[in-house]
Amino acid sequence: MRLRGPEVGQREDDSPGEASSRRAVLGTAALAGIVAGLPFIRGLFRLGDALGSPSKAQDAKILQLVLQLEYTQVAFYEQALAQAGLDGELRAFAEAALAHEREHLAAIRKALGAKAGPKPTFDFGARTKSAEAFRQAAIDLEDTAVAGYNGQATNLTKATLAAAAAIVSVEARHAAWVRAIAGEVAAPDQVDTPMTAQQVARSLGEIGMRTQ
Amino acid sequence: MNGFPHFDQFLTVADRDGALAETSSRAEAALSRRGLLGVTLGAVGAIVFGKTSVAEAADLPASDVDILNYALVLEYLQASFYTEAERSGALSGATARAARVVGATERAHVNAFRHLLGSRAVARPTFDFQGVTEQQRPFLKTAVALEDLAVEAYKGQAPKVRSNAVLAAAVGIHSVEARHAAWMRELFGITPAVSAFDPPASRAKINRIVASTHFIVSRPRMKARNKPHFTG
Repeated sequence: MRLRGPEVGQREDDSPGEASSRRAVLGTAALAGIVAGLPFIRGLFRLGDALGSPSKAQDAKILQLVLQLEYTQVAFYEQALAQAGLDGELRAFAEAALAHEREHLAAIRKALGAKAGPKPTFDFGARTKSAEAFRQAAIDLEDTAVAGYNGQATNLTKATLAAAAAIVSVEARHAAWVRAIAGEVAAPDQVDTPMTAQQVARSLGEIGMRTQ
Repeated sequence: MNGFPHFDQFLTVADRDGALAETSSRAEAALSRRGLLGVTLGAVGAIVFGKTSVAEAADLPASDVDILNYALVLEYLQASFYTEAERSGALSGATARAARVVGATERAHVNAFRHLLGSRAVARPTFDFQGVTEQQRPFLKTAVALEDLAVEAYKGQAPKVRSNAVLAAAVGIHSVEARHAAWMRELFGITPAVSAFDPPASRAKINRIVASTHFIVSRPRMKARNKPHFTG
């Protein structure tokens, strides 16, 4: 797929520091309220970050977290494509990302089988109603996915780690892609900081994940 | 293109989705400058390795030291590539900016690994980038290939890492390399995310691809070999 012509090289907004400063800062008070109202999520994300040694049982717990991430991404891109009036490269990005997230979701549901947790509900608010709000929320969501997968790397068995590694770099590509579309610095950090399960829960709650 | 037989072979092997398989421009002089990256160890060392000091690194399993040195060579390759491109003055606009940002990051990765490995770090090889750092399109095409290669390399090694500190660092760098790959792809005008799952690559495959570029013109040596031997 060819996304863009040679004129892309001319774009320059001279604001290299902007990307990092615009990342979501998770407000504690509001989020504490959101998370407190979500018993299922609270239980799910009580998952410690200093877990025991990797085991298949622990992999399954972590995959439940990842399942929520992927459900949120699929729902987010579906709604945005229907409601945000996306066009051009931003629409091409959303379509590609949705296709990828659906594949991730299917793989994780398959891995969990009957144990897969319920699909959450969502209230993305304005985030799926306009192109600019969508773009910013997509950055937050993809960064959360990267940080969430990375944060569990040392808790996973090697086999599951290998599978997760195949997914996390695609999430990272999405995050860079959607930044690059607006001419932002697409890789603002020299190393990606991981998130704990709790931090992922808060971030997903802020973006719009609710329970049933 | 005829000017870069090795480079073309490299792209053919590294080009997963065929997007790079188009003409590369010719540049005349091949540079063989040694990278002179006088960057001090910055915040990355601390972020990447946290409290893991050089002394603690002495306790790393030999297999992890081996993986870190393998990653270090790839980081040397990337860092020198961006530094040389920046110095060539051939890049402009968003591509020049991306090269600056990504180059600084790759240099920070080099320093973080060198810091961790201490005297066990392999020395920087000498590079010859066959002129691809001297024009924007060949630069971008090579950047895409190198970044995609780094993603595959880190992904191939991650499950083999034994130390949790090294693994945490490696995954944090792995995803940054993926961001770089996507960024360079976007600038080059090809899709930044080809498929839902990025494949890993073995060391043997990565080594074959890197060797095919002839970008590395001297083999890295262990620093220790340059020290006087104890003969008593």
